[in-house]
Amino acid sequence: MGAFFALGLFQGAVYGLLAVGIVLVYKAKRVFNFAQGEFGGVAAFCAFGLTVALGLPYWVGVVGGLAAAVAMGLVVERVVVRPLESSSRTIMLVALVGVALFAVAVTVLAAEPVPRVMPPIVEGGTVDILGAGILPQQLILLAVLAVLAAAMAWFFKTDLGLAVLASSQDLRAAQVVGISPTAVSRLVWGLAALLGGIAGLLYAPVGIFTPGFMTFTMLVPAFAAAVLGGMTSLPGAFIGGLAIGVVQNLGIYLLGQQLAVPGAAELGVFALLMLVLLIRPQGLFGKAV
Amino acid sequence: MPLLEVSNLRAGYGSVPVLHGVDMSVEEGSNAVLLGLNGAGKSTTLMTLAGLLPATGGEILYRGRPLTGPPSARVRAGIVLVPEGRHVFPALTVRQNLRLGAWTVRRDARRVRQNLNDVHSIFPRLAERADQQAGTLSGGEQQMLAIGRGLMSSPRLLLIDEASLGLSPKLTEQVFAAVQLINQRGVTVLMVEQNAGVLAQADTAFVMQQGRITATGSGSRTLEDEAVRAAYFGS
Ligand SMILES: Nc1ncnc2c1ncn2[C@@H]1O[C@H](COP(=O)(O)OP(=O)(O)O)[C@@H](O)[C@H]1O
Ligand SMILES: [Mg+2]
Repeated sequence: MGAFFALGLFQGAVYGLLAVGIVLVYKAKRVFNFAQGEFGGVAAFCAFGLTVALGLPYWVGVVGGLAAAVAMGLVVERVVVRPLESSSRTIMLVALVGVALFAVAVTVLAAEPVPRVMPPIVEGGTVDILGAGILPQQLILLAVLAVLAAAMAWFFKTDLGLAVLASSQDLRAAQVVGISPTAVSRLVWGLAALLGGIAGLLYAPVGIFTPGFMTFTMLVPAFAAAVLGGMTSLPGAFIGGLAIGVVQNLGIYLLGQQLAVPGAAELGVFALLMLVLLIRPQGLFGKAV
Repeated sequence: MPLLEVSNLRAGYGSVPVLHGVDMSVEEGSNAVLLGLNGAGKSTTLMTLAGLLPATGGEILYRGRPLTGPPSARVRAGIVLVPEGRHVFPALTVRQNLRLGAWTVRRDARRVRQNLNDVHSIFPRLAERADQQAGTLSGGEQQMLAIGRGLMSSPRLLLIDEASLGLSPKLTEQVFAAVQLINQRGVTVLMVEQNAGVLAQADTAFVMQQGRITATGSGSRTLEDEAVRAAYFGS
């Protein structure tokens, strides 16, 4: 059971990372970003192409993958989000689903839709922690998360970070002090794409991946994590991700393995989401409205 | 040469025109007041000056040159709006609100510190409340914060929209006194008001009706004008 718990935490950390990107965009723009997963997908495929297919060093793959994700974020902001700024939220949402499917289609065309294995950042056997075999890749994930958490906490204390928060609280007031909404929009989408890219690069080497793996397996739990955290809390989204990962894997352990219930992971997540929304409709860290 | 010269300014929302040719001229260093009933177009005028609404006609001359560009460029040029309804950043602290007020001069640390000292000397209350969330301040304190935030970018022309709205007579007096002090320190002020008390300290008063300036005069003379008083202040 310890192993399932640990596995849940690691998987949950990736959900959480995606969820933080989703919440960042939601806070700043009140937009549900269904393309968030594909920032990770595109980053993973670019990194795979650079390292495995072209044989370049791993760090080139990482930098190239993240650069591709950020570029995608900026293009989506300019070509899709900004022109649709004043249209309804439904249209925006459908357009972003379109972006995700488009990105999946491009990866299918560029790379054949066969399962791939991304080598981990460091090779090596498992280390025993809490009775669970932990891969070095997972330790790296922990280190990256710690660095990211510190970087985000620092960022939101800088002028630029405050400008993002301010714009999400009162766009008119932000304009009044001279903050450009366009610049903030670009910054938010670039950051969200970077977070999505990091999530993809951390998750790809854990198992096998196929085109669309981020969107089809990670996005829904990530949205659930964002909702669980209250939709506007960045730490809340991350903790929501951890909770979902753990519940999913404990669900697999308790219901799936012990009682042989099919769909145990999904059932566990669904039950958790329902429970939280019943007790605290504003989410774990959201403010009551 | 006036600091601000507005001629035949037109603006509106979508296809609905609101300003039908506004003419007004504000001298550098003066304290001007724009009066008018609800819906006359006062806020629309200030928002157009601040660049938040596009002008659809006419001309704005600022320091003798045509004024164009997005709000950020106008803030940098020294035109700062203190919007109707305060619009502080509710979940940020007083300190962070003021820091963002200095957005356009943020790379000049000395200036930022100097401006913060000035704001604290005008509104000592803001220094006491530095770490409080702006959304939890009283209405009067929020208004002080909104004006203080406007001062953080070293404005040359401060546009203040209905600062007295919803404030007690005593607080209103305090806010007006602060604005007078700001004006005495060299900032040109254009205030939108419905409160007659402000006329006593105004150099110039403009009266706006249905998107046009229908009367211009000195503040004290407008205050004595029974017709204007009856029409715009109900007193
Ligand atoms: N966002 C808006 N959209 C459409 N019409 C507006 C908007 N804001 C104000 N108006 C209209 O413009 C006119 C002038 O409004 P405003 O400039 O706010 O008046 P004042 O500040 O003098 O009370 C009013 O008729 C008002 O209904
Ligand atoms: Mg108004």
